[in-house]
Amino acid sequence: MLSMKNIRKIYRTDLIETHALDGVSVDVAAGEFVAVMGRSGSGKTTFLNVAGLLDTFDEGTYHLDGQDVSRLSDAEMSRIRNEKIGFIFQSFNLIPDLDVFDNVDVPLRYRRLPAPERKERIERAVEQVGLLSRLRHLPSQLSGGQQQRVAIARVLAGDPKLILADEPTGNLDTLMSREVMDQLEKINEAGTTIVMVTHTPECASRSTRQIHLLDGEVVNLDLLPPEGPAEKTAASYAATLP
Amino acid sequence: MLLHNLRIAWKSLKRNRALSVLIVTGIALGVAVSTTFATVRHSYAKDPIPTRSDVLYYVRLDSWDPLKPYPGADSTLPPTQVTYRDMAAIMKSDIPRRQSGMFKTALYVYPDPKIGRPFREIVRLCTSDFFPMFDVPMLYGSGWDRKADAAPEPVVVLSREMNDKLFGGKNSVGKTVRMSDREFRVVGVMGDWLPSVKFYDLTQNIIDVPETIYMPFNFVKPMQLRTFGNSDGWGSSGGLSGFDGFLQSESCWLQMWVELPDRASVEKYKDFLSAYVLDQKKHGRFQRPLNNRVSTVREWMRDQRVVPPETTAMLILSLLFLGVCAVNLVGLLLGKFLSRSSEVGVRRALGASRADIFLQHVVECELIGIVGGAIGLLLSLGALLFLNQWLKTTVTRGDFFRLDVPMILLSIGLSLAAGLAAGLYPAWRTCRLAPAAHLSLQ
Repeated sequence: MLSMKNIRKIYRTDLIETHALDGVSVDVAAGEFVAVMGRSGSGKTTFLNVAGLLDTFDEGTYHLDGQDVSRLSDAEMSRIRNEKIGFIFQSFNLIPDLDVFDNVDVPLRYRRLPAPERKERIERAVEQVGLLSRLRHLPSQLSGGQQQRVAIARVLAGDPKLILADEPTGNLDTLMSREVMDQLEKINEAGTTIVMVTHTPECASRSTRQIHLLDGEVVNLDLLPPEGPAEKTAASYAATLP
Repeated sequence: MLLHNLRIAWKSLKRNRALSVLIVTGIALGVAVSTTFATVRHSYAKDPIPTRSDVLYYVRLDSWDPLKPYPGADSTLPPTQVTYRDMAAIMKSDIPRRQSGMFKTALYVYPDPKIGRPFREIVRLCTSDFFPMFDVPMLYGSGWDRKADAAPEPVVVLSREMNDKLFGGKNSVGKTVRMSDREFRVVGVMGDWLPSVKFYDLTQNIIDVPETIYMPFNFVKPMQLRTFGNSDGWGSSGGLSGFDGFLQSESCWLQMWVELPDRASVEKYKDFLSAYVLDQKKHGRFQRPLNNRVSTVREWMRDQRVVPPETTAMLILSLLFLGVCAVNLVGLLLGKFLSRSSEVGVRRALGASRADIFLQHVVECELIGIVGGAIGLLLSLGALLFLNQWLKTTVTRGDFFRLDVPMILLSIGLSLAAGLAAGLYPAWRTCRLAPAAHLSLQ
């Protein structure tokens, strides 16, 4: 589903170059549920941006669903984001002055689907997350958990092949976090690939595989040296994880 | 998608009302000022007789003093009117389909004593062709015929207002009106006829209303009627005195209109006029270079400077003002759009292309333009109402500055252009935002 080879992403200022991704190679098979972990500044967000075609990269190749997406036009990237990728964010990212129906409708509008089909998809997705009775509520009238469920419904309505989730439970209490993770698990069981950035071991434990990022590189915890520069030892890395 | 974008734009306008009011007010002021001055200019400049202006021509001959040109802003132009004897001579041509020399005079009208006291009224003397040539609508009856021109028969055509005044608005065809010392039979009552400018006589107040009574031109001699308009003359009357002397003089006091159906007849008529003038030169008249004018309505209006140059200057200034309003709004719109950069990031993540984002924001700008334009149009209506009231102090009409369909369309166009001018750059900047940088990932 997702295949990155030697991806490099460098942020440049006048004074400094930051290697946000430093030769990252990741393969995620269709149907996998992968958790991406790493401490703050390790490149998780950049990885997610690149994976979601929200940001470009400087070197390497990236194939998404068999298609080389390394150098696409803005319109082509937008179309792929719209049709193949669903995003779930820690802060929900609902549009505040659109109600539940219209928020879920946003990606379908950009897909230029006919109105009856959009309505049918929206109602089915909102029903799946149990919020059909709140269809005309604004985000401000919903709890955090409900807002995240609306964000999930927005993804479900688009029926993407890949879901990129960034700390989806980061702003939720334990109970709501479980509900959201249950939803994600259900979606994954239905065949959708999920790549989730998380700090939480409990959430990571729901995944089928974990990838660790350290200073812009994918690391295998088992292969990290027991001794060496303090920040690059297995022990020091493990200590940064919650 | 357009309706969706309009809905988003409307929500956006409601979100920050104070800012929206400020932006809309900017556009409204600009549109109001420019629409008002565009309408003022248009009221003077528009074709006063669009259905007939392609076949109507105003005739001028340069019979003026050989020692100096006819006084006026443009010394190359001949006198604005023709002499009586020239009019009488060129009216003999059978080239025009219709033609009329004309002038206005003042006569006392004696209504039924039960209705009112005698009053002095401005009366136009013209030929029977006046009514079909200028497409004058008739409420009752019709104009008189050519037989009545030749006799002349004592007939009149009244305006609706005069018919209301003399006959209570009833069909007065066949009834008589006493003017001066004669009885005239009413043959027709005009319907509403109010050309934008009084194109058929631009020698005096160009925005005056048409006369209320019309009678055959040939009463000029038997009633010894003199013009109530301009009468420019030079030289002597060739030894004659009194009214006959006036008629034979070089006084230019008659307006002369012809209807020429095609280009060939225009050329033929010009040749006829040249031949006439050359013949007159042999008799010692027309000592100035040949300078006949057979002018279209527009050319005649241009020569008479119907459009005051100040109105053009004010229009240009008002358009500049609208431009300044729009430019001033660029910063406000940019701030407004960039404050929603995280929403733009979300939309981009959900599949919106740069073009989608650009279009969404342009639609918002155009909505602002339309709302501002609608308010500006209302303000402009108020300003024009005020100008018409002011105009009423000098003329008897109160609707000269009229916001007609072309001006409403222009106003809409200006609103959209102002919205676009104000919003194009902010919309472009917004659509170029890097989604990753503005997406709230945490």
